[in-house]
Amino acid sequence: MQVSSRIRRSVICAAIVAAGAVSGGAWAQEKITVGALRFTSHAPTFIAYERGYFKQEGLDVELKFFQAAQPVAVAIASGDIDFGITALTGGYFNLADKGALKIVGGLFAEKKGYKGMAIMASNKAYAAGMTSPAKIKGHSVAITQVGSSFHFMTGMIAAKYGFAMSDVSLKPLQKVGSMIGAVKSGQVDAMMMVPHVAIPLDKAKAAKIIGWMSDLGPYQVTTIFTSTRNTAERQVQVKRFMRAYKKGIADYRAVMLNQKKDPAATEAMVKLIHKYVYADRPYEKAAPGIKAGAVYINEGAALDVGNVKKQLDWFKAQGLVKTKMTYKDLIATGYADMFDVPK
Amino acid sequence: MPEGPVPQARSVAFRGGGFAPRPVGIVGPIVFVTLLLLWELGSRTGWISALILPAPSAALGALEDLYRSGLLFKHLGASLERLVLGWCLGTLAGIGVGISAGLFSLARAGVVPLVSAIFPIPKIALLPLFIIWFGIGEASKVATIFFGVFFPTVIAVTGGIDNVDRGLVRMGQSFGLRWSSVVRKIILPGALPAILSGFRITASIAIILLVAAEMIGAEFGVGAYILMAGNLMATDQLIAGVAILSALGLGVGWLIGRAERFLLRWRG
Amino acid sequence: MDLHLSHVSHRYGGVEVLDDVDFTVAQGHIVCIIGPSGCGKSTLLRLIGGLEKPSAGAVLQLGEPPADSRNPLTYIFQDFALLPWRTVRGNVSLVLEDHVLDQGARAAIIDDVLRRTKLSEFGDAFPRQLSGGMKQRVAIARALSVNPACLLMDEPLSALDSQTRELLMDDLIELWSREPFTACYVTHNLGEAVRLGHKVIVLSRRPGRIREVVDIDLPLAGRSAERASLEALQERLWRLMREEALAADQELADA
Ligand SMILES: Nc1ncnc2c1ncn2[C@@H]1O[C@H](COP(=O)(O)OP(=O)(O)OP(=O)(O)O)[C@@H](O)[C@H]1O
Ligand SMILES: [Mg+2]
Repeated sequence: MQVSSRIRRSVICAAIVAAGAVSGGAWAQEKITVGALRFTSHAPTFIAYERGYFKQEGLDVELKFFQAAQPVAVAIASGDIDFGITALTGGYFNLADKGALKIVGGLFAEKKGYKGMAIMASNKAYAAGMTSPAKIKGHSVAITQVGSSFHFMTGMIAAKYGFAMSDVSLKPLQKVGSMIGAVKSGQVDAMMMVPHVAIPLDKAKAAKIIGWMSDLGPYQVTTIFTSTRNTAERQVQVKRFMRAYKKGIADYRAVMLNQKKDPAATEAMVKLIHKYVYADRPYEKAAPGIKAGAVYINEGAALDVGNVKKQLDWFKAQGLVKTKMTYKDLIATGYADMFDVPK
Repeated sequence: MPEGPVPQARSVAFRGGGFAPRPVGIVGPIVFVTLLLLWELGSRTGWISALILPAPSAALGALEDLYRSGLLFKHLGASLERLVLGWCLGTLAGIGVGISAGLFSLARAGVVPLVSAIFPIPKIALLPLFIIWFGIGEASKVATIFFGVFFPTVIAVTGGIDNVDRGLVRMGQSFGLRWSSVVRKIILPGALPAILSGFRITASIAIILLVAAEMIGAEFGVGAYILMAGNLMATDQLIAGVAILSALGLGVGWLIGRAERFLLRWRG
Repeated sequence: MDLHLSHVSHRYGGVEVLDDVDFTVAQGHIVCIIGPSGCGKSTLLRLIGGLEKPSAGAVLQLGEPPADSRNPLTYIFQDFALLPWRTVRGNVSLVLEDHVLDQGARAAIIDDVLRRTKLSEFGDAFPRQLSGGMKQRVAIARALSVNPACLLMDEPLSALDSQTRELLMDDLIELWSREPFTACYVTHNLGEAVRLGHKVIVLSRRPGRIREVVDIDLPLAGRSAERASLEALQERLWRLMREEALAADQELADA
């Protein structure tokens, strides 16, 4: 007790010194590593990086790209990287249970009026009458993995329309590509899908959008997280990272959530994002996907704490997460706005 | 002339020996148990953090939970069904094709390059295609194992037939044995040792591919359990699942060893 | 049934191996074929047994083989050619299984040939458990089981040590004395040729031509007593062979 409070005090002292130094401009750049995935929903990372917001905060950021969200969490727990973005999954919660991870802010969220995750039916199932999310009961649902966010979304649908998880048969197919293939070929009846994939599929009549996750109520899809050690020992660094990141979010929201307002600005931002997302395709081909994938992102990296609790409780109830942790242990406050906090 | 010194008697230095492994039955288990104990000790003392590796006792606990829940045999049953079906079908087809390639020049010319071209393709890379071809039900899982087993079996059988002593075949022909008798009584038994050691390899490949096969929409199965454990970062369950696979491998190896001892008892 | 080789020549690609070989194997006689290494003795035996076709000339059967002969031309191989996965009985049984025989008859034949080759006690042994001499006796038993009209033996004793060879030669003579068989016997060993042959055919170096045919009129059974005349015969054969062998050796060295 004695020791930890002393450490905290010394950290605060350091923070004051650091703040003074930054305003003095003589502060050496601090090296940090940020894990990123090549998705439009990670765009604020790219914007803050490209526009020098991290540099302004004295952070020399190195972007490390991953193929999936899970390894990002593992890399943070092991101390290989400092910050990451992830959906809340069973894997994340179990890893957090080892005490190494803290959520510091919210990012992608489902919000009424914005295109988020679509709920899709295969043509076969649609023709057989599965025309709305309520009718998914008794059907098969493609997910990537047990305990994934797709699994949770299925749970949200079940809860909303009053059926049990045992009323649907889950088909874990490991990869989003396999999910799409299985639904296109009618081998699985339903799936949830990101908008920039779902909309073209629907237009090509390869599958049918039967609803949107945003209609089911609030859902904090992705969060910004870091290591527990960073939140304990490098609070100033975390604060500076979040300040820069929020600037990226503000830019993103101003342009990408209202793309028609200023076409030139939209074009410029899509070009910036294109450096990281769909970089293997020519700009003309990549742009529509990037634009359509511009999901809603919470202002100021605010975190829907109530929804985080709800997700944790659901995974616990499903027996997928075994932990004595509460939602409070998952979150480090003081870096972003917290809303819907349970009393 | 003075007498030289009396030559000294010296025994010739021994330089034979070695290069002859002999069975030392007790060493394997001792190494195994010692490693497990060290590992457990490391975990207990915190020297190995739970994040890096769960303690063996934790994995054992996960195994116990699995057994208590009754799911252990459900997972094992589902996997064994796929393994047995995929392995048997792949082996039968592989033996059939391998024999024709071993006996007929035309079949060999057609099959051998094909096998060389397709065998090295990782079956996991073909999973999306398997989903389209065989659906997401049992067929695609069995097919994954089937293809993994089929090609090495063809290679083992063809190679085994090639290595059968041609003198024995000549002998059979010189006694006027029918073609079918030569194949059944000389070529196949002669190729059997190679075919059986092929079985050892294909059985391991089948177990390796189990996890890949159960990536496709499997609700039950040891592979599906391991995948789920990995996705959930439940490392204790992960180790438990891997231990089940190891046990499966040991069991299959033992069975093949018995079969070898019975079928090849003439080797003494 | 006699065998007649009528002007047999054989070549492998451009290599002439046998040239105009012409002789007869009379029923009940043993014809020994000797010649320097590589002169085509094994090839000749393969031609006689129908495992290969001669490039020119023909191998003729004069008269019908006995009706109860299941495999008129039967080989005995230098390396025994026993199936290691079959017991002694199984190895003999192998060559009977393609013939219509009931269980009892087959067992009777096997018992008979094993008795004749003094192997009755080893019926259930695997080849790896047998000595070289016993293995060759199994091969002989197997050959006898099909009632051959003519045995084709390619250096049957050369894989054995000299004592075993002596014993097996006595066995062969005993077998022949009880029931004369016809045989073509290829060997390097002049001692074997003079002990077993009614006729010895000396081939020249490659391409193999008949250099000389030596008839030996002594009865087989009594030969071990006639050391002196056998020695003289062997000496004569060696003189014939010597130049050919030397020349053949020279040829190989020059090649
Ligand atoms: N299948 C074959 N194809 C080509 N050449 C062959 C073949 N079989 C034998 N030869 C050649 O024919 C010649 C005679 O061979 P063969 O084996 O008949 O001689 P051999 O008299 O039995 O010799 P050895 O005393 O060494 O057993 C040799 O030069 C050999 O290289
Ligand atoms: Mg030869």
